[in-house]
This record gives sequence, C-alpha cells and structure tokens, in this order.
Amino acid sequence: MREVFFMIFSIFTVLAALGVVVSRHAIFSAFSLVLAFFGLAILYLLWGTSFVSMLQILIYTGAIVVLFVFVVMLLDLKKEETLDSAKTGPLVMAGLSVWFFSLLILRALNRATYFKSTNVEAASDIKSISTLLFSKYLWGFEILSVFLLALIVSACVLARAEYMERKADQ
Amino acid sequence: MDLTELSIVSIKTLLIYVAFIQVVPVMIWVERKGAALIQDRPGPNRVGPFGVFQPIADALKFLFKEDPVPKEVNRLLYNLGPFLILLPSSLIIAAIPVGDRVELFGRDILLQVADIDVALLFFLSISSLGVYGILFGGWASNNKYSLLGAMRSSSQVISYEIPIALSAANAVMFYGTFSLRQMVMQQEGVLLGFLPNWGIWFQPIGFLVLFVALFAETNRLPFDLPESEAELVGGYHTEYGSMKFAAFFMAEYINLATASALLVTLFFGGWHVPWLSDSWLLLKLGSQNVVALVQVAMFLAKISVLLCIFVWVRWTVPRFRFDQLMHLAWGNLIPLGLANIIVTAILLYFFEGR
Repeated sequence: MREVFFMIFSIFTVLAALGVVVSRHAIFSAFSLVLAFFGLAILYLLWGTSFVSMLQILIYTGAIVVLFVFVVMLLDLKKEETLDSAKTGPLVMAGLSVWFFSLLILRALNRATYFKSTNVEAASDIKSISTLLFSKYLWGFEILSVFLLALIVSACVLARAEYMERKADQ
Repeated sequence: MDLTELSIVSIKTLLIYVAFIQVVPVMIWVERKGAALIQDRPGPNRVGPFGVFQPIADALKFLFKEDPVPKEVNRLLYNLGPFLILLPSSLIIAAIPVGDRVELFGRDILLQVADIDVALLFFLSISSLGVYGILFGGWASNNKYSLLGAMRSSSQVISYEIPIALSAANAVMFYGTFSLRQMVMQQEGVLLGFLPNWGIWFQPIGFLVLFVALFAETNRLPFDLPESEAELVGGYHTEYGSMKFAAFFMAEYINLATASALLVTLFFGGWHVPWLSDSWLLLKLGSQNVVALVQVAMFLAKISVLLCIFVWVRWTVPRFRFDQLMHLAWGNLIPLGLANIIVTAILLYFFEGR
C-alpha cells in the first residue's frame, strides 16, 4: 500500500518538477513548483517524518513560493520573452542536472534497503529532532543561524540605504 | 484496514465535513441579520420566517446566474482559482477534534477525521495554501483590480502567518504536544476552584495575537484589503461569476469556522463542558455516547459564539490602511509573540521543570 502511494507521488513530484523547467510561462513554472513541493511533502509523510513534511508545506509551499509567485506576477512577463533568451545557459544547466541525476541514481542503486530505512524514522518527532539539533548538530545549527542573521541584517541595510537616499532626495 | 473500519471512517468523514459545510448557509443568514441588527435596519425578512431561507434563495440565484469567462484570461488558472481556495479550507477540517469518542458496534470511534500527531502544524501549513487560490485567481483574471487584490492578499497572508506560527509555537510549548486532541485533553475540569480550566488563562497574549492574526488570515474586516470593495471593486474575485464567485465566499465561511475551531481548541477547552470533567459527566449521564453528544453540542456552541464575534467585529471596526496593517503585524504582533514565547519558556522552566 505504502509502496504504491510512494510510486504515485514520486511520479507526481518528478512530473511537477519537470513542469517547472519545461513551462514556457513563468507563472506555470511557479505553479508546478507548488505542486512539486507538495508532492515532496507527501513523500516525506510516507517516509514517516510527518514533522518535516508539515514544515516543508508550511515554509516552502506556504511562504517561499508565494514570494516567487508575487515577484513573477509583478514582472508581467510576456509569453515570448520568457526563459529561453540565453542559449548556452540552459545547456550548461542541463549537463549539470544530468550529472547530479546520475549521481543520485547510483546512490539509490547502492542502497538496497531503500524502503526500510530506520535511521529516518528515529528523528521523526519534534523531541528527537530538537535533541539532535542541540547536541550532535549544534555547531552547524548555530553557524547557520548566524549566517541567516547576517543575511537578514544585510538585506535590511540594503533596503534602508535606498530608503535613506530617497529621503535625502526629497 | 478492514471493510468495517473503512466504512466507519468514511461515514465519520462525511458527517464531519457536511456539518462544517453547513456553516456556510447558516453564516450567510447570521451575517446578513447581524449586519442589519448593528446598522438598525430589518435585513432579509421576505423568504421564510425572519428570512431564514434567504441562504437557499442566494444559492439558487448563484446557480442560475450566467457564468461569464472574461476574454484574454488564463483559462486554466482562472478556473482553478476557486478550487485552489476551497480545497485547503476543507482539508483543514480533518484535523479538528469535535468530540472525545463514541462507542458503537463494540468499537471506540474518535470524533475527529484524523488524529494527526502534528495536527497543529497540519492546520497551519494547509491553511497557508489557501493564498494560492487568491493569487492565481486574481492574476489569471487579467484585471488590474484583481491583481492588486491578489498582491495585497499574498503580502498580508505571509506577514500574518508569522504571528500565527509564533502563537502556535507558544501553545505547543505550553501543552507539550502538537496534537490538537492532546491539547483539548489537558483543558478539563476546574482551575483555582472557580474558573473553567481553559488555555486562555495561561496564555492571554497568545490568544490575543492569534485572534487578531486570524482576522487577517481569513480576509475579514478590519483586514479585508484584498477585496476591499470601496477601492478594488471586489478585489481578487472581481471577474468571477455564478458558482465560482460563490466558491470564494464558501471558502471564506469555512475558513471562519475552522479558525473559530482552532481558537476553541487551543484556548477555550475544545469539546469540554466548562467546569465539568468528563468522568463526572459519564457518571451522571450513564452512557459514553450521550456524553459525546453533549460534548459535540458544547463544541458547536463555543464555535457559534466565536463566529458571532467575527460578525460583530466585521460590522463594527472600520478597515485598516495597508501600511497600518503591515505595521500591526511586523511592529506589534510579531514582537509581542516573540516576547510571549520567551516569557512562557522562562515560566515553564521554573514552574514545570521542563
């Protein structure tokens, strides 16, 4: 039962991810991205990590892609001048994607116990996740938080500088 | 999963969903009558006694109206819009515990569609998907007012999701669980001898933040800028007609019902009868099924009170300006929520030793 659902939603996710790349119109890319993230969340759910799955929907589908869509809508792209302006860029990207994809396939083939992974389910609930975050992965966690804080502060400084300039002009 | 269990789950799901969707016609009548009461006019009084059949007349009117599709719209997204907003708001119903349990055919049946272990997160994440209906519907309409409504909605919903998440995190810290059922379980009986044991006494700030933010999340006045009819014709649903237009309204009322259910679950004891414990009720009433019936009635009563407050606020408070709206979220609610989390953590550390 679980395997069947897993297959269905794997295919769904891959198709949606393809839709992101293939769509001529940026708005459909964004829409496919929503579907792809949603499919990914369902895959997490099937792996038994309900907490990660819900965070996936809450953060990626519910917040980040909304911002993407927001920007895309403001851009007002016409059908012709969408993403195929550059010729070499897509080729390089396609090459990189093929390389990554073959790496992933090799990795998946090497793991015979793909559906019965136990270490994933150990960190499914909030308590074990937070214990891991504050013990084993403490340094990574702290460095990431400092990094994110730096990003937020720099974004604020940039926005503020523009705002101050405009104020000085008036 | 055998056939009996499957049928039990199906019937339960159907019952709870239909019950929640019945909020829509009832709320249409309550909203129109409530508005009339507040504005000192009679309101709908032609269809049936006190106009109670007005929702049926409204629904029929929607059904028989022409369903125009404007020229040059993006067909796919235009038609998807109403479904994209209706789907998440109905999905959320699955996580709401409407009562404890009934004993039927020798089985214990939980009065909840799905007892999810991360129910609160499920609620937040699925409700955050509702914005896509507004965004894509508003954009696909190919109308500048619709687009403006969609823009306002996306920035508003993203901003107000943060205070909601902060308030929810606060509730999770206090109850020590993500499960809405477990949260309700902890709000049984009497507090200090005279208060019902409700979450609101322990986290009044959390309630205040969540209550204000939910108004914005459900696009209700005073935060209904995405559809503010005085400036944007109708906002994101300007170009919709017939049942597609009705779908936006159904979603709004279902969202209201689920928002009230969340508030009741987190802060007002869920299905519990105030002051009374479940074991006392079972002793007096004799049967678990009767107790369950009382609990569901109690839950409905609590939701109804909150829904009436939503209507009351809508027709009393004037609409915010957009910068005021943003300032309320980023300048007031988010700092308040963050401070609340820190204070709660300190108090929990000293008093509960968690």
